[in-house]
Amino acid sequence: MRVDVRALGACNRLAERGARQAAGALTDLTGTDLSVEVTGASVASGEDLAEAFAGRESIGVSVGLRGGLEGEAVLAFDAENVDALLSLLPGGASMGRSAVTEVGNIALGGFLDGWANYLGAAIDMTPPRYFEADGAAVLPDGALAGDGVFLFESRLDATTTDLDFSIYMLPDSGKFRDLVVGKTAPAAASGADGGAGTDGTESTAIPYESLSTFASLAKRGSANAADNIAMMTGLDTSVDVSRLRFVPLADVPAEVGVEPHAGTVFELQGEPSGYLAILFEEESAAKIAASMLPSEPDEPLGGMAENALCELGNVMTSGFIDGWANVLGTSITHSPPEFVHDIGSAAISPLVAKLSRRQDYGFVIDAAIQTEGVQARCDVYALPDERELARALDRLSEP
Amino acid sequence: MSHPPSSRDRTPRDGSETQDAGRIKVGVSELAIATGGETLTTSGLGSCVAVALVDRSTGIRGLLHAMLPNGTGTDTGIERPGKYVDTGIETLLAELEAAGASTSRLEARVAGGAEMLDLTDAVGPRNVARVEQSLDAVGIPVVERAVGDGVGRTVRFRADGRLVVRAADGFERTL
Repeated sequence: MRVDVRALGACNRLAERGARQAAGALTDLTGTDLSVEVTGASVASGEDLAEAFAGRESIGVSVGLRGGLEGEAVLAFDAENVDALLSLLPGGASMGRSAVTEVGNIALGGFLDGWANYLGAAIDMTPPRYFEADGAAVLPDGALAGDGVFLFESRLDATTTDLDFSIYMLPDSGKFRDLVVGKTAPAAASGADGGAGTDGTESTAIPYESLSTFASLAKRGSANAADNIAMMTGLDTSVDVSRLRFVPLADVPAEVGVEPHAGTVFELQGEPSGYLAILFEEESAAKIAASMLPSEPDEPLGGMAENALCELGNVMTSGFIDGWANVLGTSITHSPPEFVHDIGSAAISPLVAKLSRRQDYGFVIDAAIQTEGVQARCDVYALPDERELARALDRLSEP
Repeated sequence: MSHPPSSRDRTPRDGSETQDAGRIKVGVSELAIATGGETLTTSGLGSCVAVALVDRSTGIRGLLHAMLPNGTGTDTGIERPGKYVDTGIETLLAELEAAGASTSRLEARVAGGAEMLDLTDAVGPRNVARVEQSLDAVGIPVVERAVGDGVGRTVRFRADGRLVVRAADGFERTL
């Protein structure tokens, strides 16, 4: 199966629109303003998802989908947010489980409306089912099976209270696959074979298997980067999360958040070209830098720390992209590091802007790397050029 | 949708910033208008630019968070007018007019457009230049600016038409 990146963009827009409808329905129900922060599609194996969700406890509501779209949709809250949610609802905490079920039903109904409109076919929902789950059990049935799925995830955020939650949708292959490969989304796909786009640019269709290969490759890259931190700092490191997601680029800054961050950014040249950012929250950045310096620096994030973080960024980036070039059979080089120390989203926005000249959606590889002993973590964001990545992945599948 | 609908209008029309007036978040490549007392906010402006427009006689305000100067020749085929300064301002003006504001009465405050990185060839200053050009073309005066330098900013557009700009180091200015 070939996945058309543009059709995937259209699907993502539907998920985003659906999430906005769900947010609107919940705003009306609770009187609390909710906004959609991020919508993306993960390309992940069951194993990746199990790892990413390890240790989380959730309550949620699931519905089965029939008709225009088949599969399952889940609305999930972190278990610790449940009291906050209940306090917003008419009837309050006494309503408990039935109130949560009702919220789920309304929000998921809103979410699916957008898809039904687009498909021009009704989507029937089975009655909502309330559940409590540990770890990845919160995900729709079937998410953990098989070696690659698209999981649409939207994060909704309450603007005035501390309550955020996620909607996950895992469509069954058949009809959904037709959507993703562009068969039923003529406006978004460039052709039945995913061939040349209307603007005369090259193909954006990728064999699904290559995408899945690339997802595991990205994971290996994160592990390499973590190993390189261990080598330079002597600290034990581990990769917490490593995901390959397809997201609207404009959402990436919001994901990094408004906390001050320090780190390094790189331009990648070759196939694919793109950008890579390694961002630490300030405290983590200072700790990591101090662990690399022979003596305590005068300023926590002054010149010496900057040099240390640039050096670290260099070896991490090499580790991150080494595997890509080997497997893709291309050559990828990176620019010297550029130090950034600012609001996280402001630091990454120029990279997103640059890439956005050619694309609105992109594959983002994000990894969280954690060190032991000295408690520090960083996030790595890799933003490859979509067309070049598609081309390289396409070649990968050639016999 | 290219931008979120405004929050429900459950606010006093006296223009004061109250706890209840609500907040409308404007994301990257988005725009929104406020017809009540809502505070419009946008965060993490690096090279991106925020354009805040107010019609003082009606209190109607609009905020744009644009990423790139102009759409010509870089059309990626997806509708997101707020992505570009030129299409963003055009759309914002149309929405403000539709809500009852008059372009001839609008005044502008501009923030962002920093030169964050050497890697990304001065997109910030080009965004600011484009804002000045687009507003000048329709005769809207820019009354205040907090633009350029190498610093990220977060803004709050208050009901009284003033724009509060907070820099990464916590320094706050009211324009």
